[in-house]
Amino acid sequence: MLRIIGDTNINFIGLRYKAFIISGLVIIIGLVAFIMILMGKGNMGLDFVGGTMVQGNFEQPVSIADLRDAVAAGGFPEASIQELHRHNVPNFYIIRVKEITASDMKAADRIVEIVKEHFPQNAFTKDSEHTIGPAVGDSLRKSARWAILISVLGMLVYLWFRFDLRSGVAATVATIHDVLFVLGMFWIMDKEISLLVVTSLLTLAGYSLTDKVVVFDRIREKLKKFKLKAEYVGAINKSINEVLSRTLMTGLTVLLVILIMLIFGGEVLYDFSLALFVGIVVGTYSSIFVACMMLVEWEARSPRRAK
Amino acid sequence: MKGQTWRFVITGLLVVLAVVGFWNTFRLWTMSSDDKARMDEIKPGSVAELERKAMRLGLDLQGGIHVVLRVKMEEIEPSARVDAVERAIQVIRNRVDFTGVTEPIIQKQGDDRIIVDLPGYTDAERAEELIGQTAQLQFKLMETQDNANLLLAKIDSIIVASRQAEKAASESGEATSPKTDETPADTSQKDDILAELLGSDSLGAEGIEDVEDNPFTQYLEQFLRSSKSGSPWPGYMVAAKDKKMLEKMLAMPEIQRVIPSDVQLAWSTRSEIANAQEVHRLYILKNKVQFLGKYLENIRMSRGQFQEPTVDFRLTGQAASAFARLTGSNIDKPLAIVIDEKVESAPIINSKIRNDGQITMGQGATLDDAKNLEIVLKSGALPAPVEIIEKNVVGPTMGSDSIRKGLTASIIGFFSVVLVMLIFYRISGLIADIGMFFNIFFLMAAMSVMGVTLTMPGIAGIILTVGMSVDSNVLILERIREELRTGKTVRASIDAGYDRALVTIIDSHVTTLITAGALFLFGSGPIKGFAVALFWGVVISLYTAVIITKAIYDTRKGYKTLSI
Repeated sequence: MLRIIGDTNINFIGLRYKAFIISGLVIIIGLVAFIMILMGKGNMGLDFVGGTMVQGNFEQPVSIADLRDAVAAGGFPEASIQELHRHNVPNFYIIRVKEITASDMKAADRIVEIVKEHFPQNAFTKDSEHTIGPAVGDSLRKSARWAILISVLGMLVYLWFRFDLRSGVAATVATIHDVLFVLGMFWIMDKEISLLVVTSLLTLAGYSLTDKVVVFDRIREKLKKFKLKAEYVGAINKSINEVLSRTLMTGLTVLLVILIMLIFGGEVLYDFSLALFVGIVVGTYSSIFVACMMLVEWEARSPRRAK
Repeated sequence: MKGQTWRFVITGLLVVLAVVGFWNTFRLWTMSSDDKARMDEIKPGSVAELERKAMRLGLDLQGGIHVVLRVKMEEIEPSARVDAVERAIQVIRNRVDFTGVTEPIIQKQGDDRIIVDLPGYTDAERAEELIGQTAQLQFKLMETQDNANLLLAKIDSIIVASRQAEKAASESGEATSPKTDETPADTSQKDDILAELLGSDSLGAEGIEDVEDNPFTQYLEQFLRSSKSGSPWPGYMVAAKDKKMLEKMLAMPEIQRVIPSDVQLAWSTRSEIANAQEVHRLYILKNKVQFLGKYLENIRMSRGQFQEPTVDFRLTGQAASAFARLTGSNIDKPLAIVIDEKVESAPIINSKIRNDGQITMGQGATLDDAKNLEIVLKSGALPAPVEIIEKNVVGPTMGSDSIRKGLTASIIGFFSVVLVMLIFYRISGLIADIGMFFNIFFLMAAMSVMGVTLTMPGIAGIILTVGMSVDSNVLILERIREELRTGKTVRASIDAGYDRALVTIIDSHVTTLITAGALFLFGSGPIKGFAVALFWGVVISLYTAVIITKAIYDTRKGYKTLSI
């Protein structure tokens, strides 16, 4: 029998204060990022703020700096340029300009003209473009907020119904912790929060919650046998240890799959996969160190069990 | 044992359904382009037929155009707003049908938006013209040259006057105190416009007084004359570089005020090349609509006597007599053909036209332009103007690259998970792998049958399903191991493992389903694809990871050992 990890008896509960410090920091950074994003200071993707993206290839390679200068001189000083490597056409670039005005739905055509004029010897062929007016971004932001709200409430209610209020709160807080971690990381790295990144944050929330449910299920099973307060804490620690091999095994297979998406999935899925990858690592940590430890603390502060 | 039979019967049935459901998709995806060509040769249209039956690929994978339009409700009467979007959709659908795009999607979104998806179509410019045009066709007469001259003289004098005032103001301003700027807001705004006009004038400020007694008309060049009488009509050529400046002058409130309400200044539909220079045309029309495009019948693209593109039409009944009256009383005068407030052309009426008319395309028009005009006139005008608020054009390179990368990631992802399960759980891992295979297979079949569109994020959803469907089996297998360690028999351990893990599996599935549901509600195209793949992947995995794998274990009754 090849086991990823043998029988363990780690005292996770004893580590909880260290964990609280780390997680507290994570939550603070994440909240700052979240508030900045809400205030419109985050690096929001084209989907949300409107803008245009032109994709195409040159006959010969050009330097990104040259291309950026050319586009900037043509009237788009904020343009960002990215070269796509391992694309099936060589010298393939993405030119991105954010926050165009409603009347500027032809911005992509103008960019193509500018590029063609600036590189007359090096033919540029436009492959794709995506232009999003500000009105679309507004409504998308609105529906993203609803989606987040609905999923958080939905999970909280389900867990409350299936377990109890404290489990629901603990699992939801831990899940929000994971999402805030990834959000904070993206904010610090100045990575774009696109529609796909928001999607991956929600997916991550679903996965992370699954992870917490698995541990909570085991705790509930154990608790049927325990009646005393001291035993409650012991039951939690034992449950964590018992499901540890499952936690690691599933975590690793899912991480493996996402790692493959990161490497082979191309740039469309890159940030999506990155957010999921980091989120699942953090989610595994928070199942133990945030969700379960909150249960422990809650129990310590609640009146003696009636049973 | 009876339960066992049922499980096999149901699974067998599902497999048959899935094979049938997935068959067309499988055939299409495994065909080379040569095969497709051969198939179409034997039976034309059969490939398109197969594509219709197979799983739809999203625009991000197969290329195409996605446009979101907003119907400008504020520009029409409140009474007409009720079904304006529905009527606009009908008109756009008619227009799109003429392009021959297979399986377009045209649907309402929200209160005033329309989504148009044209898979496989990548000519963005043409698509925009086709979808975005209101296509309100009107026939108008031209203002007389005398009246036009009066109006133009007035425009010139207003600009001269305001420039002189501007110059005086700036001189006195410089002489006294240049920094105290206490002019009211509206005047300063006007000054801005003038300053801009002056700035764009190549002559500079000093030259103004000498040259500028005709600041507007100096940019106009008469071109429209009757063929017989030779009398001039107010149609002018304007160099493309000057058009913006003239438009700004015309937008000045003082000038807007002197243009009579029965006169309209209108530009040509497109620019053209004259004397090696790009020019636009400016027409001075009588504002009254003489005849409307909606009476035109039998509209078709054609060619005129010099092989130039035209659009021919026919008139019947009262419309024919009205048009005959109009043309009969205006012989040797131009008749402007106005589409969406722009002049396509203004041919001189040679004789009375009763039944068979012809729309002369303007200079510089191509056959494609004529074809477009034919389509939009046939489909009718939009009930309200629309504006494009989102436009996504996915070229062939981007789409095929995404497919290649998605496929690579899926295959490698699938096999590495298979391998990991084999290494850690051996034969039991193999059984889990079989469950996972069925999960993917059923998912693909379900998506084909339900007509779900496969997008790049959808592929990510399928890959994630691979990872998550394993989770159920890991839960079960770890539980079985625990039960084995407590000293239970193999048989009892398997049963207990499944029993105990089931609650957890259901709980964990529901949480993922909640996320997928929320994503589906808010998602646009590609994200919806992801949500759907995730949702069904998780639902199906409940069956494949629990029931199918259990059925495999149950084929053997007496276990002495278990490879786990």
